[in-house]
Amino acid sequence: MPLANPITTLILSALTVLSVFATVGALKRLRHPERAFTASVRQRLIVAAIALTTLGLFIRFWLAEGGWQPVTSHRDGLLLMSFMLAGTIFFIQNRARLVGLSAFALPVLTFVLGWAICSSAWTYHPFDLPTLHPVWRGIHLAGVYLGTACCGVAAMAGGMYLYVQARLKRKHNLGGMGLLASLEALENIIIRAAILGFVLLTLGLASGVVVISEDSTSLPSGWWFTPKIVLSTLAWLVYALLMNVRYAIGFRGRRAAWLSIIGLALLLATYAVVNRLPASTAESETDPGTEAAPTVSSVYPVEGG
Amino acid sequence: MRVLFTGINHRTAPVELRECFASAGDTGSHLEAFRTRFPGCECVIVSTCNRFELYAARPLHGKPKSDDLLTFLSERFGVPMGQVASASIHREQDQAVAHLFRVCCGLDSMVLGEPQVLGQVKRAYQTAAEAAAAGPVLHKVFQHAIATAKHARTETGIDAGRVSVGSVAADLARQVFADFADKTVLGIGAGEIAKLTLRHLMGLKPHRLWLVNRTHQNAQALAEAIHLPASIGGAQPWEQRDELLAEADIVVTCTGSTEPILTPQRFKPILKRRRYRPMFVIDLAMPRDASPELGSMTNVYLYNIDDLQSVVASSLGQRGDQAQACEQHVAAAVTACMSQITHADLGQLIQKLRDKLNELGRDERERTLKKLGQHPDPQALDDALGEHTHRLINKILHLPLSQLNQHHSDAPLGFYAAAIRRLFDLDEDTGAKAGPAQAPVKPPPGVGVDGTGSGQDKPAATSP
Repeated sequence: MPLANPITTLILSALTVLSVFATVGALKRLRHPERAFTASVRQRLIVAAIALTTLGLFIRFWLAEGGWQPVTSHRDGLLLMSFMLAGTIFFIQNRARLVGLSAFALPVLTFVLGWAICSSAWTYHPFDLPTLHPVWRGIHLAGVYLGTACCGVAAMAGGMYLYVQARLKRKHNLGGMGLLASLEALENIIIRAAILGFVLLTLGLASGVVVISEDSTSLPSGWWFTPKIVLSTLAWLVYALLMNVRYAIGFRGRRAAWLSIIGLALLLATYAVVNRLPASTAESETDPGTEAAPTVSSVYPVEGG
Repeated sequence: MRVLFTGINHRTAPVELRECFASAGDTGSHLEAFRTRFPGCECVIVSTCNRFELYAARPLHGKPKSDDLLTFLSERFGVPMGQVASASIHREQDQAVAHLFRVCCGLDSMVLGEPQVLGQVKRAYQTAAEAAAAGPVLHKVFQHAIATAKHARTETGIDAGRVSVGSVAADLARQVFADFADKTVLGIGAGEIAKLTLRHLMGLKPHRLWLVNRTHQNAQALAEAIHLPASIGGAQPWEQRDELLAEADIVVTCTGSTEPILTPQRFKPILKRRRYRPMFVIDLAMPRDASPELGSMTNVYLYNIDDLQSVVASSLGQRGDQAQACEQHVAAAVTACMSQITHADLGQLIQKLRDKLNELGRDERERTLKKLGQHPDPQALDDALGEHTHRLINKILHLPLSQLNQHHSDAPLGFYAAAIRRLFDLDEDTGAKAGPAQAPVKPPPGVGVDGTGSGQDKPAATSP
């Protein structure tokens, strides 16, 4: 397994530390909104730096690969997600009633950056691109990664919803809620992000099924019952429900917020399962000398990095 | 006379206990009960949703003492003595007066500097004056308090730029809802504070604003008072309140009902009908109109008057300078007021001392006349002795009384007055008897209800 460029790891580590720093600042700002100005400027600079750096790294790796496919490994996907999350945070920092959302978004960004370090330094594995249909593969990767980013936004809004609701219900420290969006606005964000995420995930999963069905002979029996299929289907169902909470009695508000968080947790679990489960490696280890066949792990390249 | 104060307020008593005091009868009946129990004492009761305070003036060695007041409150409101004692505060003399002054200035309010409490104190004083429960001492104290509050508010600007319960309610509504163009507001009851809050909520430009009241005319009057356009809404029949609750997103309730009108049993089917859409309930009534259990229901955000006022109070930390200036006004005014009360007391005391000494002199003169026996001109002798006695008493009294009239920081006037009473056995009953029970005292000019409103500390019972 090739080690990634140590400079990349160093840059990602620095970005992660900056993100942790910004997270602490955002959490402090949530508690003491009156100390806003300098903290706000510092936080914007950090987020802008993370967005630009991750975009720069993403483009650099894309150009280095030489092909038209921008995402050639899980690391690239995480860099793309980091850029999108940082861009989203930068946007919400300029919206008066959404500023508080950065306190919930920055921990997710920190997590994704940390994961990118792992993917770059220790678990780097390029996707088995030549064995897959390029168009379906592109749709699959774009759908899954961008869909996950949207689901991440929904989960952040869900976290903030729970926080705002807890403060409103407990009637605690209500004086400084100016940085926090209204519950209705947050529910709107959850639903809209869930709708977009659902559409993209549907594209990603459907294209994944197409890729699988192209070479169904190599599929092991009961492939549809493997953890990644079950988890990704469950996540897809959660978002299908989440986008319709306004019409489902009893699923509004708090439950919708929890659904958004559960949905993201299921997606992350899918990534984790696919990356860490021995099934894919076990199958490839059976015949290490031969070219890797398009197994379940490789036809889900996003999880197979 | 001694000035006493015993009471509970938002700092010392929970809302449940304040409800017990607010819901048990009207102020007039409490005053009557007090006077029956403690004849010859003066009394004013200030009852709002934030406080129940009893101000009394009694003879120096008479009743009620603090324990008597607590017993009176406990028996009158059916609250265990221990509970009343632990939740109440008791002050005497200048501290009692200072408390009233602070209340009038809004320094003791949850919303610092709020003006409504001054109107409520005025009404409480007027009620006591009409019931002849306020006598010379409390007249003086309350007139001073009202005048001081007006002066202090003007001078310090403590009530300027304040955050009100209504504005906080509107801010909290903005925290629940993002867009009000499709929202419906429902006002239940027609209390003064509801009017102020509804005005703020109208500023959010809701889609609909309905008003219901047991007395339909009151709802119509409220709609007119807040200039509610007919295109937005208006007064609706009381019987339709459940249907309106199912439509409403924001509910402002402020009725005089002694029992909750919004209970979980009533709310559950309503929430289901509205498909569990979020609902913001603002309960401004005392006793409360909404059961506390409502707050734990799904997507229901319940705020009562205490909750709103605590939010307001937390946002007022920066007004310390104005409060400090106001405290200085209060301290100076309390000193002046107590000085006047003490001097009024002293005038009566000096008169009693003179009467006492004159009585002694008369006895001695008669005794001397008898000893002298026959005199060619008995009338001339009697006149000469009378003048002699009078001059003698005056000369004896001149030095101590002139000393009493001078202020000495190291010699409190009350101490000397008490010493004179004790040494010369001058009972205080006469002064007390000339107090409130003798003749109805008209409220002094300028203390009637002046429309200041009863928003923050609204009167306990408000007709729905």
